[in-house]
Amino acid sequence: MSRIHVQYYAVLREQAGRSEETIDSAAATPAALYEELRARHPFHLARTQLRVAIDGEFAGWDAPLADGARVVFIPPVAGG
Amino acid sequence: MAGFEFSTAPLEPERLRKAVEDPACGGYATFEGWVRDHNDGRHVRHLEYEAYVELAVKEGERIVEEAVRRFGVKHARCVHRVGDLALGELAVWVGVSAGHRAEAFAACRYVIDEVKHRVPIWKKEHYVDGDSGWVNCERCAVGAESATTADGGRAATHAHEHRGEHADAHGHSHEHAGDGSHAHGSAHARGGAHAHTHDHDHAGATSHAPAVSAHPAGLTRPDYSRQVVLPDVGADGQAKIRRARVLVIGAGGLGVPVLQYLAGAGVGVLGIVDGDVLDPSNLHRQTLYSLADVGRPKALLAAERLKALNPEVDVRAHVERATEERLPALAADYDVLVDCTDNFRAKFLVNDVAVRLGKVGVLASVYQYEGQLQVVKPGGACLRCLWPEATRDGLVGNCAEAGVLGPVPGTLGSLQALEVLKVVLGRRSALDESVLLFDLGTLESQRIRARRATECVGTNCARAASAAAAPRIEDLEVAVASLDDARAAGYVVVDLREASEVAAAPAPGDTMHIPLSRLLESPAQLDRADTRYLLLCARGQRSAGAAATLRAAGMQRVWSLRGGLSALARR
Repeated sequence: MSRIHVQYYAVLREQAGRSEETIDSAAATPAALYEELRARHPFHLARTQLRVAIDGEFAGWDAPLADGARVVFIPPVAGG
Repeated sequence: MAGFEFSTAPLEPERLRKAVEDPACGGYATFEGWVRDHNDGRHVRHLEYEAYVELAVKEGERIVEEAVRRFGVKHARCVHRVGDLALGELAVWVGVSAGHRAEAFAACRYVIDEVKHRVPIWKKEHYVDGDSGWVNCERCAVGAESATTADGGRAATHAHEHRGEHADAHGHSHEHAGDGSHAHGSAHARGGAHAHTHDHDHAGATSHAPAVSAHPAGLTRPDYSRQVVLPDVGADGQAKIRRARVLVIGAGGLGVPVLQYLAGAGVGVLGIVDGDVLDPSNLHRQTLYSLADVGRPKALLAAERLKALNPEVDVRAHVERATEERLPALAADYDVLVDCTDNFRAKFLVNDVAVRLGKVGVLASVYQYEGQLQVVKPGGACLRCLWPEATRDGLVGNCAEAGVLGPVPGTLGSLQALEVLKVVLGRRSALDESVLLFDLGTLESQRIRARRATECVGTNCARAASAAAAPRIEDLEVAVASLDDARAAGYVVVDLREASEVAAAPAPGDTMHIPLSRLLESPAQLDRADTRYLLLCARGQRSAGAAATLRAAGMQRVWSLRGGLSALARR
């Protein structure tokens, strides 16, 4: 199990009802982590609509997740 | 006798004073502005004053009349030199006589302050090193704390009170302040040139607002001194700003602050692309406009306001939407494109045009209390490097129209203006390699490092360069009277709503249910080659975005129900 700090932006924040949380997860990638979180929160967006950042850098969905990673899930926004 | 005039001959205070002498007056205050031997650390040899005389005299007269009316003094007069002046010479003289000293001091200060602020007079400083430079006198007043005035100035103050009971109450029957009252070199860095007592500062200060709003024509541009003094700007940087050509796409919540700050900064050419007319619901966040402007094209309104703010800027209004056909031609004339639009279609268009033409793009978006900011430079990551192919209008966010507080786009727009100025000034930015995420609800921000898409080579983004024009929405949408009609016409109806929405209001008849996110994850679920699929959602936005995404993925037999179920319910 790894301890992961997760942050949500925009509609994900609304659906999660929070802007961040720290969880213990066995997920090895952000893709697996997102699927795990979808079981807890009513996330409507598919992974293919989002970007994920790990430790301050945009990352691929199959990037490795280390213990203590800071993961940010970011939907695109278009308002002006 | 004129209240205000110019003189090409040296000023003679003793003679000027006679014009305000009056046996009914117990107080006389005068101010003299002198040519000082240094300014801004440079040694000044002599000065030249030049004025736009017709306008300057009118405005000067107005100021003197205001002083008489406002402070109830008997006589006031101001004379300003023009032409070549030597060190120590008298550049400006103000004399005021009144019943008592208080109003004489206050009116005298008012006149000199307002003259400095409002009358179009320029001075050319000739420095000991042989160099010279023009200085608008307005900077003296505007930059009161920046100590940049050229004329020194001494308060040759004489306050006589004859037989005045009030004066005696102060214990002085005769005041002769002389040099003792000089504010020279004090906190009043305006040359320390005021014949005043601090008691009257307030009278002067409160009078400024209406006076400034009545500013005459004659000044042709703002005074940029407050940005020029920055080490990173200087005359060089101001010249760069003057040469800059910036196109702002969208004159709404983001665009308004961008336009205002760039016009104020003195950007040479400022283009505005916006095809909308002002709606009353715009005003809470688009505060450049007025209620009386509702119904007029925003690009024209903005151009009008910006010309008033800074006539020096070449403002070009384009009352049209940014389209694939038009934007590349419009953008060719500019160096920087600022995306202030409110939809993905336009944002990707601005991005693609910037990438293809090798321009800098400054892109921002807001969602409720959050904003994202990205600077796209040749060779760096662009919007398409960052966001997935499935980023389309209608696919993210809520079905309901998102609300926003005005200062949120206001803040992001201000940041865009700042990034544009950094680009123009050639400064590096932290956003050269990163995207800014700013949560204005919690005031937390973070920068996420962004890399170019791996397929990009050279300076161009492969994805942006190959981006196909999005299919027109009209080609994707189908309007039907009922879902049964659609089925009769051969469509398989697919409901993209979430399970909770379906449970609350099921679509009538035989309908496939595939939540949008699941469809986007595996589009092959709609795999029957001989079948036409009609996608639906509550209002037709998600289904239109999904249809566009599936078409882009090669599935040509998908359509979107126009207006969604709510449109059917209305029929």
